[in-house]
Amino acid sequence: MSGGGALIEVEDLTVRFRTDEGLITAVESTAFRIAPGEVLGLVGESGSGKSVTAKSLMQLNAGNTLYDPASRISLHLDGRTVDVLGLKRARDLMVVRGGAISMIFQEPMASFAPGITIGRQMVEQLELHTDLGKRAARDHSVEMLERVGISDAGRRFDQYAFELSGGMRQRAMIAMALSTRPRLLIADEPTTALDVTIQAQVLELMKELVAEFGMAILFITHDLGVIAQTADRVAVMYLGRIVETGPVRDVLRHPAHPYTRGLLDALPKLDALDQPLTPVPGDIPSPLERPSGCVFHTRCPEVIQDRCGVELPTSMEVGERHRASCLRLEKAGELVTG
Amino acid sequence: MSPPLVTLNNLEVHFPVGKRLLGPAPVVRAVDGVSIRIMPGQFYGLVGESGSGKTTLGRAILRAVPIAAGSGTWEDSEVHYDLHRMTPAETKDFRRRAQLIFQDPYAALSPRMTVRDIIAEPLEVMGLTGSRQETDERVREIAAKCRLNLEHLRRFPHAFSGGQRQRISIARALVCSPRFLIADESVAALDVSIQADILNLLKSLQNDLGLTFLFISHDLSVVAHTCDVVSVMYLGTLVETAPTRRLFTAPRHPYTQALLSAIPSLDPDDRGRAQRLSGEIPSPINPPSGCRFHPRCPHAAPVCTEKIPLPEPADDEHHTVACHRFRELERRGALLERTRVRKLDAKA
Repeated sequence: MSGGGALIEVEDLTVRFRTDEGLITAVESTAFRIAPGEVLGLVGESGSGKSVTAKSLMQLNAGNTLYDPASRISLHLDGRTVDVLGLKRARDLMVVRGGAISMIFQEPMASFAPGITIGRQMVEQLELHTDLGKRAARDHSVEMLERVGISDAGRRFDQYAFELSGGMRQRAMIAMALSTRPRLLIADEPTTALDVTIQAQVLELMKELVAEFGMAILFITHDLGVIAQTADRVAVMYLGRIVETGPVRDVLRHPAHPYTRGLLDALPKLDALDQPLTPVPGDIPSPLERPSGCVFHTRCPEVIQDRCGVELPTSMEVGERHRASCLRLEKAGELVTG
Repeated sequence: MSPPLVTLNNLEVHFPVGKRLLGPAPVVRAVDGVSIRIMPGQFYGLVGESGSGKTTLGRAILRAVPIAAGSGTWEDSEVHYDLHRMTPAETKDFRRRAQLIFQDPYAALSPRMTVRDIIAEPLEVMGLTGSRQETDERVREIAAKCRLNLEHLRRFPHAFSGGQRQRISIARALVCSPRFLIADESVAALDVSIQADILNLLKSLQNDLGLTFLFISHDLSVVAHTCDVVSVMYLGTLVETAPTRRLFTAPRHPYTQALLSAIPSLDPDDRGRAQRLSGEIPSPINPPSGCRFHPRCPHAAPVCTEKIPLPEPADDEHHTVACHRFRELERRGALLERTRVRKLDAKA
């Protein structure tokens, strides 16, 4: 399988968790691919499964996770293909964990070990993943800290996470994630905990680094504005399913799925101050009460009675590389339901 | 015209940090000389980044933190209070008039109480009803106003989603019929699709019950859509106050302009327009001299490091700006980098 030039391909990913209340489906039949150097935005609200999807790429989900046997995650590296979900031993997983894939998290304070200096943590991963010696690893780390705009990097290198401000911690986190030169960076709500002026700085920095390092990014956020500013393509998730995916312009300007439209209408916009906010009716269902049929039908303003709760919508092409899963689109008669 | 409901004059709130052997302990000036007037029926917005002192200001109005200097008054049709000095009886009465809705609907509700008991507690504590039946009636009435299902009253908070919990919090704050509510980041923890519902609920409650709101938020888009008047805080001081539309279409203070431009636009073709502010918010323990914004301000001049700018009217008394240089810069056209709102208005 060539993967059509994709760096990573996710096919039919279904993730369930064993809990006391029974089996909970967090992600269901999700598929996407990311090309080298491409930024894919994964947007969704709480419980949509966006973090679980991302963590699956590195098998970072908790011990009670069950990946459905049909799920496939293929990583294409220099002519060889790694079957990520087939990796079992921690040693083998190093190819993806910190090797080809790095991750930055929402809360940088919780992601650095509090009792070890920033520098020690940066050097440790370089020792694991590269052939750099101690001295070279230190120099490279300080260089990376400088690259992300941390002044006095030599001193910061020997400090602990608590000694840095929130924005600086997130910069250090990015420096650490990029120092092994990963092919794919997973950024899980990297600016959500930051103030808006600091967020602007970090987003700017990330854009520069993508251009410089040429890595692909899976950018996870609930903020459509951040997606508009960073992503090439976007996938909208709701309750574990990707309901719409396409180039960021097309999806934001011509949303095809009622949920994407609902999200955009509910969002307060600065260029339309007089437009009233339209909430998406109802609440996000509990994962224990997963709706049958289309996952969004319980809140959908355009629901088709007797059909949406029963039939599973298939993914329909609505534009160039722009797809959405909604029965309304099928009714328009572009394809016949399977 | 009726007098302001809440008036603050040069209000200061200090918190001690650490101890010193001799002399006074060092303090953080969390709020440093803030003057605002909140008119009855207003939806007053207070925005700022973390550490700007917006929450502390709200708490000072509610007498949850001591006022170090300056004055604050409360004046409604029935009573007049000095927020600085109140007798215990006055405080008790004031608690009925001014209430708070918290940020985190998961932490704000006791998991061991039913929804009915949570909403009824203020009535019982303040002795506002004579009988259990009367309490129940009042709880049901306010729950309906907050669009809570009456069957929900017997359940415990864990059974509810974030949006429903926030409606319970709002019902609890409203049950004693207050005049004034402070909503401190009350939609920050909610998903976008739910957030709009709570904002619409707050607006309709304001109309129906004639409430006055102080809406504290870091999210400028949310404030733009809900508030009548907005004040922008930076490191314990107010930098700009204006009617909402004016603040968002024609901001005058360099910080407000930078803040507005930093909001990520929903238009993918509108990338990289943020006026980049260098640096981060300095520590309030040792704030910069003069204008507190000067270390990050692209237009800072020597006067900005020496003299503290006082709020002055920009066009009229409704729009005040605390900046030494905004007029001079506007004359020179240096501040013409307007926000996208302005741009779109011009297009329309």
